[in-house]
Amino acid sequence: MTGDELRARFDAELSAAGLSLAGRDDELLFAMWTEHRPAREALRAAVPMPDEEPDA
Amino acid sequence: MSADAFCDLDLTGVAGAIHGGKASSVEVTEAYLRRIERHDGVLKAYITVMADRALAQAREADDEMRRGARRGPLHGVPLALKDLIAIAGVSMTAGSRVLARHVPERDAEVTERLHAAGAVILGKLSMHEFAFGRPVVDGPFPTGRNPWDVAREPAGSSSGSGVAVAAGLCAGALGSDTGGSIRGPAARCGIVGVKPTYGLVSRRGVVPLSWSLDHVGPMTRTVRDAAVLLQAIAGRDPGDPSTRDARVGDYTAQLESGVSGIKLGLPRRFYLDFPGLHADVKSAALAAFDELGRQGASIEDVDAPTLDLAGAIWVTMLSEVYEFHRETIRDQPQNFGEGIRTRIYMGALVTAADFQRGQRLRARLRREIMALFQDVDALVFPGHASPAQRFEDVAMGQIVVPGSRYTNVWNLLGLPAVVIPCGFSRDGLPVAIQIVGRPFDEATVFRIARAYERATDWHTKRPNPETWKLTS
Repeated sequence: MTGDELRARFDAELSAAGLSLAGRDDELLFAMWTEHRPAREALRAAVPMPDEEPDA
Repeated sequence: MSADAFCDLDLTGVAGAIHGGKASSVEVTEAYLRRIERHDGVLKAYITVMADRALAQAREADDEMRRGARRGPLHGVPLALKDLIAIAGVSMTAGSRVLARHVPERDAEVTERLHAAGAVILGKLSMHEFAFGRPVVDGPFPTGRNPWDVAREPAGSSSGSGVAVAAGLCAGALGSDTGGSIRGPAARCGIVGVKPTYGLVSRRGVVPLSWSLDHVGPMTRTVRDAAVLLQAIAGRDPGDPSTRDARVGDYTAQLESGVSGIKLGLPRRFYLDFPGLHADVKSAALAAFDELGRQGASIEDVDAPTLDLAGAIWVTMLSEVYEFHRETIRDQPQNFGEGIRTRIYMGALVTAADFQRGQRLRARLRREIMALFQDVDALVFPGHASPAQRFEDVAMGQIVVPGSRYTNVWNLLGLPAVVIPCGFSRDGLPVAIQIVGRPFDEATVFRIARAYERATDWHTKRPNPETWKLTS
């Protein structure tokens, strides 16, 4: 994913979450979100079995 | 006995002095208050010192003892609370400008229990903002300074609790732990820290961070002290539904039983082979495991594949953080520090599907770990990744700090976890091991911790007050 695509994805997620940030808040969150992406992708890739339910 | 000598004692020693008639609760309380006045300008362990109220409680405790009444092992003993635990009529800030003017009208459940046990409360302890900010050296709520090297942070978020206990500014403290906030400061300040089983200790009246991960627990100089303090605060509370299944054990009865025949599991791949593990922590932890072996425990390597996803699962819980702060951060973002603001916003980006995926994988992780407990009585591993860092070296922009793997797994699973000192780094900084047990089996965890503690003298080491000076 290019830098522009990454930024566009971030902006889309921000918008979907109803957040509108600017300046340093936006910059810091983008950096944190970018850094966390591999972990999130790993979570999404770890598909549980259908009978693996959350604890009650 | 000199005033400072009281402050060098552990909780059990302080209680012994008071209950044995060597000193009154008032004398001991005054000794702590003088020490706080002398050193807290540098150490910054306290946000609020409750001198008048503490002395009144101490006088009451002394009066009761003169009448022959002693409420228990904490009677007249001076303690302190992290500043997110409510005391009626006393400011509770959670280390944030957002709550700078907040004064709760009712005690937290744990505060009520400590009062009922006759404890004296010296004050409210500094902390990372809302238990989730980053260390700061200025502003209205600076982070405490590590008494082993005041240029270094004590870890967080129960930073003041760690500092106050290690520096002898109270006989014991309560902290809270959502991803390691008791165990991190305990490890880096050279004291004992306990994250109890989820649901053993009430959180009513405690400012939440993440309901499914939050725990309240003791921070003390010794294992026995921690057991005594936990005994006082554990138990069901109708005000906190998470405690409905609480099973309270006797935490001191088996303390001296040793570890002969105890089976320990060591998650070597995940913890000892982690590249971020500091060499000094690793070597000290290995020596500690050898000592447990000499004491009669057997140790085998264990593993659980889903441990690798624990950090990612933990992050999905940020949606709980965001839900709690959503309206406040929308209305007054300027009152949150930069470090916590970014982390709270991250919670808004956790999707419902990610949260549910996290919950399902959390259940898988629980099954894997509980399967390990079919074969072992407890797990042992290093208490933290590295010794205390200089303030300027602390990473500010990460959502999961390196090394949080040593602690956040056990919040996800709600299992009892105790950190105890196991030596010092080459720089003279405390290092620690951690012991994790089955749900509500704190008694076994304490027993193992005590067996190690009894064979060593790390818990008797004290930082030098002569070094509590700022050079610039």
